[in-house]
Amino acid sequence: MATTTTPTTKVPEVRDITRIERIGAHSHIRGLGLDDALEPRQVSQGMVGQLASRRAAGVILEMIKDGHIAGRAVLIAGQPGTGKTAIAMGIAQSLGPDTPFTALAGSEIFSLEMSKTEALSQAFRKAIGVRIKEETEIIEGEVVEIQIDRPATGTGAKVGKLTLKTTEMETIYDLGNKMIDSLSKEKVQAGDVITIDKATGKISKLGRSFTRARDYDAMGAQTQFVQCPEGELQKRKEVVHTVSLHEIDVINSRTQGFLALFSGDTGEIKSEVREQINAKVCEWREEGKAEIIPGVLFIDEVHMLDMECFSFLNRALESDLSPVLIMATNRGITRIRGTNYQSPHGIPLDLLDRLLIIATSPYTEKETKQILKIRCEEEDVELSEEAHTVLTRIGMETSLRYAMQLISTAGLVCRKRKGTEVQVEDIKKVYSLFLDEARSSQYMKEYQESFLFNETQTAQMETS
Amino acid sequence: MSLLNEETAMEPHGVVEYLTEVEEAAEDVLTTKQQIIDLDMKRNRNREALNALKSGMCSEKVKICFGNMFIKFPKSQATQMIQKDQEQLDSELNHLRKGLKANVNHLNEKQGKPELSGYNLLPLSADEMKAIKSVLKR
Repeated sequence: MATTTTPTTKVPEVRDITRIERIGAHSHIRGLGLDDALEPRQVSQGMVGQLASRRAAGVILEMIKDGHIAGRAVLIAGQPGTGKTAIAMGIAQSLGPDTPFTALAGSEIFSLEMSKTEALSQAFRKAIGVRIKEETEIIEGEVVEIQIDRPATGTGAKVGKLTLKTTEMETIYDLGNKMIDSLSKEKVQAGDVITIDKATGKISKLGRSFTRARDYDAMGAQTQFVQCPEGELQKRKEVVHTVSLHEIDVINSRTQGFLALFSGDTGEIKSEVREQINAKVCEWREEGKAEIIPGVLFIDEVHMLDMECFSFLNRALESDLSPVLIMATNRGITRIRGTNYQSPHGIPLDLLDRLLIIATSPYTEKETKQILKIRCEEEDVELSEEAHTVLTRIGMETSLRYAMQLISTAGLVCRKRKGTEVQVEDIKKVYSLFLDEARSSQYMKEYQESFLFNETQTAQMETS
Repeated sequence: MSLLNEETAMEPHGVVEYLTEVEEAAEDVLTTKQQIIDLDMKRNRNREALNALKSGMCSEKVKICFGNMFIKFPKSQATQMIQKDQEQLDSELNHLRKGLKANVNHLNEKQGKPELSGYNLLPLSADEMKAIKSVLKR
């Protein structure tokens, strides 16, 4: 890519949030917990209860895997703490590493650096993968011997011979000046396993052969031992890569990439660039050079989007390169952001009409108990039977999230008193230390006057 | 054996038949692999011979070993012969590699395994790959 040196423009990207880091509260989820017939198991892969919605998600998942429902949208709706994000996570986990999954919180798109629609387009294009194949001819073998003849005068062309072997064969290569240079640059010696790229002549060292392990008693820790390669010496290596459309966009707006496009300096990717990339990718697909993998874009807290974004979503879903859109919201009938209209889930009716809606319902006491147990295992906290029951009650009466918070804090208290198992006393202690939402509001109501800026409360009252 | 469908699982005869099919498919893969190795060995030997012909011997005629017989041959003709052989080997190797892919697919299918993703894609050209490479590095 060193052919052109245009001033590179920086393209701000929607920050990539890795699946595990973002949703720490859902790190125990390994999948949707369905059997082969898509029937949900009561407790499996970190999922508990929500049978109906999990089954619905499973059906959608199968359709995504078969590539049937690109460009569709799903809404997961339910009260807070009923496992909406967990289901989305489960879908993400079951899709496997090859299907792109992009997670995004509704408020993330409000940034000063780029427009909302740009942030959304980038997220959309991150969720579409393109699978391509690279094919190289390489020579791979263990170095048996390198012999380099230097001319007596010290200058002039060097000649040499390189003997390579695999488990099946052995052969001698004549070396030219250039090859000798790169061999000595890589410090290749007898016993190394190397590959030589046939097209470029690039040499890379894979490690040292096991059979030579005894040659050195003292060696650096970084020395890696590998098996002597098998089979033929001259191999054809095929590597399948998956890149997202967004990544291709970025290189093409940064440099004069293979499409030789002009790049703007607005910090956003021009729609011309996107169109050209789409055309190129479609061309590749027709030539059999690329496969398009429609992935999943997950927008959490979708009620945070405003009217502009919703109309963008409407349009984006109709494009032929569109991922499956999964949204989650915990709102009921509420005002659509940026307007005065009320609508279910805070989503305009025309978009709502296109969605498949999955509802989640509150967990039962038994399910709550199960979830708390799974979380304890995840956080490495041992819980006594009584403490577990108490915690379940707290979870039922306050919220599941609050009970989950208490696990790790109670674990700390327990460790402080050098206990091995969290007892009821530990739970009681953290329950008195940390307020749940209801008690906190109660406290606010009682001591409102002693807080700062308490007049805002009254001001709000007046306007509403 | 979850791979077997229900009818074949019932009768032992069906099982034997199924296993034979899988074994046959596997055998095909292994033979093709071995063939590729043998041809590559030949190719490498030819290459060594060409190198030897290029440098070293200054006499007009060279001795070539055919099977267990040495035949004296003019140098240029010998080179030509080997080069022709190389070309043929290259095309044969290409052919075998294509066949190997089909064989592996066949084996996977027989075993009830899913097809490898991206297995049947055509490779991108060197230029296109170069552009994509800069993405992959990160």
